[in-house]
Order: sequence, then structure tokens, then C-alpha cells
Amino acid sequence: MRKMLVIAVREYLAAVRTKAFIIGLVIMPILMGGSVVVQWLLKDFHDIKEKHFIVVDRTPGAQLVGPIKDIVKDYNETQTHDPQTGKQVQPRFDVQSEPPSEAIDEQRVDLSDRVATGELFGFLDIGPDVLEASSAADARKESHSIRYQSNRPTNESFPRLMRDKLIAKVQDLRFDAAQVKTPREKVRRIMQPVPVESKGLTRRDHEGKPKDANDQIRLAPVAVPMGLMMLMFMIIMMSATPLMQGVVEEKMQRIAEVLLASVRPFELMLGKLLGMTAVSLTITAVYLAGAYWSAHEYGFAEYIPGALLVWFFLFQMLAALMYGSLFIAIGAACTDMKETQNLLWPVMMLAIMPMFVLGNVLQEPNSAVATGLSFFPFATPMLMILRQSVQPGVESWQPILGAAIVLATTLACVWAAGRIFRVGILMQGKGAQLGEMMRWVFRG
Amino acid sequence: MAAVLIDQVTKTFRQHVAVDNLSLQVPRGSIYGFIGPNGSGKTTTLRMIMRILYPDRGLIHVLDDAGQKSRSILDRVAYLPEERGLYKQMKVREVLRFYAELKGCRHSRSAIDDWLKRMDLGTWANKKVEALSKGTAQKVQFIATVIAQPELVLLDEPFTGLDPVNTEVLREAILDLRRKGATIIFSTHDMSVAEKLCDLLFMIYKGRKVLDGTLESIQDAYGNDTLRVHLDGPATLDDLPGVAKVTDLGRWQELRLASGADSQQILACLMQRGQVRHFELIRPTLHDIFVRIARPDFNEVDKVHA
Repeated sequence: MRKMLVIAVREYLAAVRTKAFIIGLVIMPILMGGSVVVQWLLKDFHDIKEKHFIVVDRTPGAQLVGPIKDIVKDYNETQTHDPQTGKQVQPRFDVQSEPPSEAIDEQRVDLSDRVATGELFGFLDIGPDVLEASSAADARKESHSIRYQSNRPTNESFPRLMRDKLIAKVQDLRFDAAQVKTPREKVRRIMQPVPVESKGLTRRDHEGKPKDANDQIRLAPVAVPMGLMMLMFMIIMMSATPLMQGVVEEKMQRIAEVLLASVRPFELMLGKLLGMTAVSLTITAVYLAGAYWSAHEYGFAEYIPGALLVWFFLFQMLAALMYGSLFIAIGAACTDMKETQNLLWPVMMLAIMPMFVLGNVLQEPNSAVATGLSFFPFATPMLMILRQSVQPGVESWQPILGAAIVLATTLACVWAAGRIFRVGILMQGKGAQLGEMMRWVFRG
Repeated sequence: MAAVLIDQVTKTFRQHVAVDNLSLQVPRGSIYGFIGPNGSGKTTTLRMIMRILYPDRGLIHVLDDAGQKSRSILDRVAYLPEERGLYKQMKVREVLRFYAELKGCRHSRSAIDDWLKRMDLGTWANKKVEALSKGTAQKVQFIATVIAQPELVLLDEPFTGLDPVNTEVLREAILDLRRKGATIIFSTHDMSVAEKLCDLLFMIYKGRKVLDGTLESIQDAYGNDTLRVHLDGPATLDDLPGVAKVTDLGRWQELRLASGADSQQILACLMQRGQVRHFELIRPTLHDIFVRIARPDFNEVDKVHA
């Protein structure tokens, strides 16, 4: 027992006292928030190369070509330059018309080829019946709609412009055709869509006045659960991976043999596991303290209640032990780091699984599927925390049962890992396969 | 009272019999040399004594453990593995304190200082292990092994990679441990070290014990059957009557007598072949005996095939 602690303390200090640990502690959140920062940094860099488009207008008399050219001309004159500096910040658009061909598909292939070569950025294909005042059902038909085709679906600037401006032009032409007497502007006002906005709950501020939740707080009900789950995943990886590397190193450097001359294999493994769990809880404490502080500072403390933090700590500890034992077993079965990759993927699948269902669980945290998945032991720590942190939370028996299931699984994993560790740690030369590891577990 | 008593021990890995029905008694206070070719079962035997491995059959008693399989006795036993390992990222003093604590020795500071001074490693105490040269790291590993004042010390190839000065330092340290009452078992490939240092020798070959006893008793068993001769000029000695094997050592040849051969007759033959500069009837060296057992055709001109 005492020797196990000696191992655990060394393991803990070896991990915590490295520069890599301190740097990792600081850098991880930066990496997570990194994409935001990069976008912010790049916001002043613009691609202002002119983009070319083709319009194939299949309406009778190609009535939309003119309006489209007007829209683009107006856009080029008013939207592409920064009004203060006069510097060009957006690319100009150039639109050319091409007569519609009877062979519609052939024409689309030709135009697509020209997009693929880079000559064009995209093209508009306007259905022949777009100008008809059609029913909602008809409007979905291809002949009643406009296609925008491009191989850069993420660049929305041109189709967005068309959506915003072309509708009014089409409506004008429909008004003309229908010879409506009511002034157009009045019809448009009647038809003006009503915005339905999502808002957070209204609370009283410290002076007792009712106050709307600001946008930051509005995001909290989604951002907090996601953040907590990602945090747990990250901490598991941050602490379990070096643990596995450590075991492989001990095997490669033959340190394991020296250690086994003093401690039993199971004591050695348990000591390492405890050391690693302490490391992961250290990281957890640092990040949770940070989260708690910022929650109070920015006014979304109600989304991170104390009980949730306690549960997070508990589940984090169980997850560290459970995944740590799997990582240790893999380390013991391999003779170098490369080999670990082959054995690691099943464990990684288990660990990443909660990420795959993140969206569904956030939407419906108390559906039967979400509830069931959160009792699958390898996913429980992450999914239970996710479900607990989405309002209105879960019934109190659920995390307790979840923790019990994880605890039982953890004990089974530690036991199995101990059996693998005992055989693997002295093995040199060739690494083990998954089947071989299973044999060690059941036959010793 | 034996420090180690190995009683009819067999250890098998899959189909391979690593140690085959081995019995051995290591007296307290002795220096016992384990020799044998690579893969003959030395390390397996040492690991079984350390209870890192357990025998399939037979019993191993260590110190006064009364046959219990408990590992607590191991706090009084130290083991230096062949391919020795230290944590590269730890400082020398930390790593020594860690190994002392693992053996249950909590107040190791002064002992560490003494050993570092004695091994001339004082300047390295606060350096990381990765900064040490191979020989220095080996000395640190030796200190890590003996820091907790073990009663029984197992050293697997302790001298490999050491220069003559450090070999001497280590030899002196081992003798000193013995003077303080420790029992030392070490394995080596260096026969001259084994001859000089060991009270008793044990050779294992293909898992079986082939030699066991003092150097003298072993040499006696092989008798005075070796001639060391030096002739001027080139001379083929392969076809000498009464000689079983000829080993060309460069500056001289060693001739092993066939059984019943007369050394004087051979001398007479040699004098006919050339100018005899040196002629000596010797007992076979440990090296010679080792080679005879392990690789009968090693560097020898076999008369049968000549």
C-alpha cells in the first residue's frame, strides 16, 4: 500500500512538474477558442478578386437578366468598398447571360466544367415558371425555382445577394403580370414577415428591475453543457495519453523490471493509475475554478450550480480511472508508441462516442435514447454531465445509478488491465494483439 | 543457512523450457557467479529469485522466508537487471530516493550522499539522468540497487560497458558489500572477472546446470589436459598425434590432449616441427571450459574435420 503511494506520488510529480504540463494547461483552452480568435484576426484579410457568374434565364423573354445585372451593378458600386477608408473589401461580381439550351442537363454540365476550371465562380439557372404567381406546392418545383450551382458551397455572398434582392424584382414582374390595383408598397407591408426571436429568461437585477438576459447569457444553456463535456474529454486525453507513454517508456527503458523487483505488478499499475487520476483532478480543479469564476463574472452562474461541479469532479475521477486503466493495459501490451495506435482505436471510439450524439442529446436531453445512452458506462461520465447541465436537468436517481454503473465498470477495467499489465509489462520484442490481450485477461 | 535455495525448479515459456529442473544453493556471504551463453536461462533464474516470475515446478527459498511466497522479503533483496533502466527525466538524487523508498527505506539522504561521493558522482547529484554518460548512468543504477542496504544482491551483467577504472570502482564496491555481510549473485560474460571475483561459480546451459562449485573444483574436474605452446614460424599443428583440438589464440596455440595422450611425446613431435619457444601444461581456463561446453566448434580447428 505504501509502495503504491510512492509510485503514485512519483507519477504525479513527474507529470505535473514538466513544462509541457503547464503549457498544455494554458494552451488547451486557447486551442478550443482558437478558431474564434483566428477568424477575428483574419477578418481584415479579404479576397477581392473579381468573381464571374453566368445566368441562364429560362423565363419567357429572359426577363430577369436585366434586373440581375442591375442588382450586381448596384452591389459593385455600393457594397464592395469600405465607406470610411474607400478601400475595396469585397470582390466585385461580373454577371454574363447565356441563352438557355433545350438540352438542359448538357448545358449544366458545360457550365459546371467552366466552374471546375476556375473560369466561373458559379452560375444561376432560372426556371421557366419563376415569374408565375404559383401556389406553395408549385413553388417547390424546379421549373418554379432558381438554382445556384457552384463548387464552393461555403461561399454564400452571391446567392445571399440574389436571395435578398431578386425576390422583390420577381414580385414586381408578377405584380405587372397580374395587374394588381393595390399599391405594391402596401402589399409588401401586409406581407412583411414577423420575426420570432429566441431570448433567455427575464430576471430581476440587483436593484429589483426586470432585466432581459443578454446574448452572452442566452448562449450559456448550450455553451455550458457542451463546454463541460468537451472539457471532460480533453482532460481524459491530456492525462491518459502521457500515462500510456510512460508505461511504454518504462518497458523500453527496462525500468519496469527494476520496479517489479520491489512492488507487485498490480501495486505498480494501481500506483500509476492513482497518480494519473490525481493529475486529471488537478487539471479539473484548475479549469473548474476558472469556469466558476467566469460564470460569476459574466453572470451565468445559475447554469453552473455547485452540485453540478461536484458531480463533474466525481465523474471525471471515475472516467480517469476507467479510461486510464484501458490506456495502461494498452501501454503494457505494446513495445513502442507506434504499436499503441493499432490497439488504441477501439478505446478512442468509446471515448469519442458521446461527441457523435452530442447534438441529439442537447436537443432532447431526456429522450429515451439519450437517457439510455447515458447509462452505457463508457459514455456515462460525459453524457450524464451533458444531460445534467442542460436545463431542466435529470432526475436525481439517474446520476447516482450512472455513477454506480461506471464504478462497477471501472473496477472490472482495473482488474482486467491488471491481468494484462502483469503479463505485458515484462514482454519484450513483439507487441500483443487484441485477441492475445483478451486471453491474458481470462486465462492469465 | 543458504541465502538462496533453489530446489528442482522448472520454468517453461510456451514450448520453450527456460530452466530445467535446476537445484542450487547459494551460501550466505558468498559471491556467486552465474555464467552461461545468452538465452541459457540466467535472467529467468534471477527473475524467479526476485519473484518477478514464478516457477512452474519446484521451490525457491530466499533468505529466511520460510517458503512463503510473500514479496515482503524483497525489501531485503536488490536486483540490477541486465538492460538497466532509470527515469530519464528525473534528477539523480530524486531517482535514488525513489528507489530507496520503494524498498521501504525512508531516510536515505545520508546514504545517498555517501554513495555518490564514493562513486565519484557528487557533481551529478542534481543533474537529470538523461544527461549522464552510459558508464555514469550504470554507476547510478548500481547505487539505486544497493541504496537500501540489501542482504542479498542480484546483479545481471553489472560490468558491461564500464571502463577499466569504473570496473575497478564497482568491483571494490561489491567486495565491500560482501565484507558487510551481503550475499552477492552476479551474472557475467566476462570470464576473467568471474575467475577473480567469485567464491563459487555456476554455469547454466540450455536451462540445465552444467557447472557448479569453486573455480578449483571445476578446473580439477577438467584436469590438466591443456597445452599452451608457442612455435617460431608458421607450423600446422592440426595433425599432431594425441591432440584432440587446436585453438589458435594468435600469439600462441592451445592444444587439448586426447584422453590418454602423453604430453612429452607431443613435445617431441613439436620439436621436430619447429623452434619451440613456449611449452606449458595448464589447467583449462574458465573461458576455455565455457567455450567447450557452449560452442564446441568456436574458433577451433577440429581435428576430425581437418
